[in-house]
Amino acid sequence: MIDLLTFLLAGTLAAATPLIFAAMGELVVEKSGVLNLSIEGMMATGAATGFVVATLTGSPIAGFAAAALASMLLSMVFAALTLGFLANQVASGLAIGILGLGVSVLIGKNYEGTTIKPLAKIDLGFLSDLPIIGKTLFGQDPMIYVGIASVVLITWILNRTKLGLIIRAVGESPVAANSIGYPVIIVRFCAIAFGGAMAGIGGAHFTLSYTPLWAEGLIAGRGWIVVALVVFGTWKAPRIAMGAYLFGAISLLELFVQGQGFAIPSQLMSAMPYIITIVVLAIISRDGRIIKLNHPASLGVPYNRSE
Amino acid sequence: MKLLSRTFKLFTGAALTTIAALVLLPLSNVFAADPLKIGFIYPSPAGDVGWAHELDRGRMAIEEAFGDRVESMVVENIPEGPDAARIMNQFAAQGAKMIMIGSFGYMNDGLKLAKRYPDIKIIHASGYKLADNMGNFQTRNYESSYVAGIAAGHVTKTNTVGMVAAYAIPEVVGMINAFTLGAQTVNPDINIKVVWLNSWFDPSKAQESARSLIAQQSDVIFSIYQDTPSVVTVAEEEGVYVVNTSSDMKKYAPNKLLVSLQINWAEHFIEQTQAVLDGNFKGTAFWGGMADSAISMESWSDDLSAEQVAGLEATVAEIAAGNFHPFTGPVVNQEGDLMIKDGEVLSDGDLLSINWLVKGIDTKLPK
Repeated sequence: MIDLLTFLLAGTLAAATPLIFAAMGELVVEKSGVLNLSIEGMMATGAATGFVVATLTGSPIAGFAAAALASMLLSMVFAALTLGFLANQVASGLAIGILGLGVSVLIGKNYEGTTIKPLAKIDLGFLSDLPIIGKTLFGQDPMIYVGIASVVLITWILNRTKLGLIIRAVGESPVAANSIGYPVIIVRFCAIAFGGAMAGIGGAHFTLSYTPLWAEGLIAGRGWIVVALVVFGTWKAPRIAMGAYLFGAISLLELFVQGQGFAIPSQLMSAMPYIITIVVLAIISRDGRIIKLNHPASLGVPYNRSE
Repeated sequence: MKLLSRTFKLFTGAALTTIAALVLLPLSNVFAADPLKIGFIYPSPAGDVGWAHELDRGRMAIEEAFGDRVESMVVENIPEGPDAARIMNQFAAQGAKMIMIGSFGYMNDGLKLAKRYPDIKIIHASGYKLADNMGNFQTRNYESSYVAGIAAGHVTKTNTVGMVAAYAIPEVVGMINAFTLGAQTVNPDINIKVVWLNSWFDPSKAQESARSLIAQQSDVIFSIYQDTPSVVTVAEEEGVYVVNTSSDMKKYAPNKLLVSLQINWAEHFIEQTQAVLDGNFKGTAFWGGMADSAISMESWSDDLSAEQVAGLEATVAEIAAGNFHPFTGPVVNQEGDLMIKDGEVLSDGDLLSINWLVKGIDTKLPK
């Protein structure tokens, strides 16, 4: 049996983690000036690959690695289309997203509806046994902490390092970045590959820990929430993470409220996580200057070196 | 030039194939006993367990029963809509003379097909529209839900049952009511909580719903039409009993599965196929219950005493024999109105459109 507060707190961290991985990846991609809308498909591919590899090898680490690799490969198809052939990013992203969903079905075909032992939770002795916060803070699976670490790391890299500066410069003005000698295409390619790998890890967290089973359509639209989080979180990692936790918390709260029998239409309740997350993020970020400051100026614009 | 030659190649290829087909086709008719081609279309993948898996078991039963006399074609995971219509027409073009369409939303496309091809017989899962050459089938799951409810009443210690349900369609509402009525026979003060997923397929949300119900003191979970073992595995992990529908999920919850409400299409499918083979198929509405062996209780938990299981089996026998109906009055709804008068039984028509919850359920119906 589980108590209510643990359910809500620990559950929120678990529910938000796949979103955080994918969102941190997409943040870097968008900061470099590329809009990759194929998150849903990449997460699904990662989820299926991670599940199958972890089932076959018995090693969750191998599962996560394979998931990252598979989604990275998929994102490279996107990179080839948009960077190499200067194809429209929105259309290519949607197409690769649909392709990813198809690939996930193919990979997971023989594993439909099967389950797997979830990723082991860490055990820090007495710390994990503390009431309420024990299970929430010290009794989660390791990837949840990796997810939090990735938020800190990405914030630091983007804002405090030379690498971050280069990525941002490429996203603001590829022409200027190129003229001072930065390889725009290579930077964007690496960003896209990184975004793919992170989406894959997020997807794998879904099938290896959060919902330890594979079924087609498992991601159920969460890839799209990731895209929304990045935009409504105004391209700032901490805000995006907060949005993800908020989304997780409201989706759990909704289920709890339903069980309590309040006379709120459940259809409205089901829509709540989406509505509240977006409204809250929109209110926090209502300052037009901040949006303008953080919005990568050349987002979605193909870069043609020869022009 | 290159393009032209390729088009030309394609053209000659197609022409040759057509000629070959025209020559060979009449030949194939020489062999009199052409197998009956049966098309099957499922809304979800026919995995290890679940709705499509049960339909596929029905298909295998047909193959086993008729051997060479039938040939089945399967297309899985087809969303309701234009894709489904396309697959059905494709079946027709491939010479299928019988088609099983496995989802409620295939109904209108199926009916169109039935009208266009009077010689194709269609059986449709859980719809309500009929034609001379189109019948439908569904199960009286409220019967098995009632019996499972009694079992839940026996084992609950917290007096709380949580239910995870997709949408509030009459079939699901009927199952929730029957389960509650069953539980109340042994445990009059039982609390029933329901979480509506408002989604046909979201295993993650189903798992979280189960966890939220457990956190709210439920020690029996009723997983209604979840095609994956999502809820069942959570129950096993958290150590609460679970009842699931469609398929037996004992292997996913070896310790905590209370009982599975199994669906068996084999008998009905074989009957219908026989009718098509004999040329006397007639589109009918089949609503199979315990009496037709269309549903059964599988894998009773070892935690139920021998007496309890005997009592439960006796109720099954009573229902199967037609001596007892789960919706026998007096039954009162949540608002306290008498919905079924003392001694009366809810008619099939009322059951098929049931839109109220019985007293004792905490959650309201989504309106």
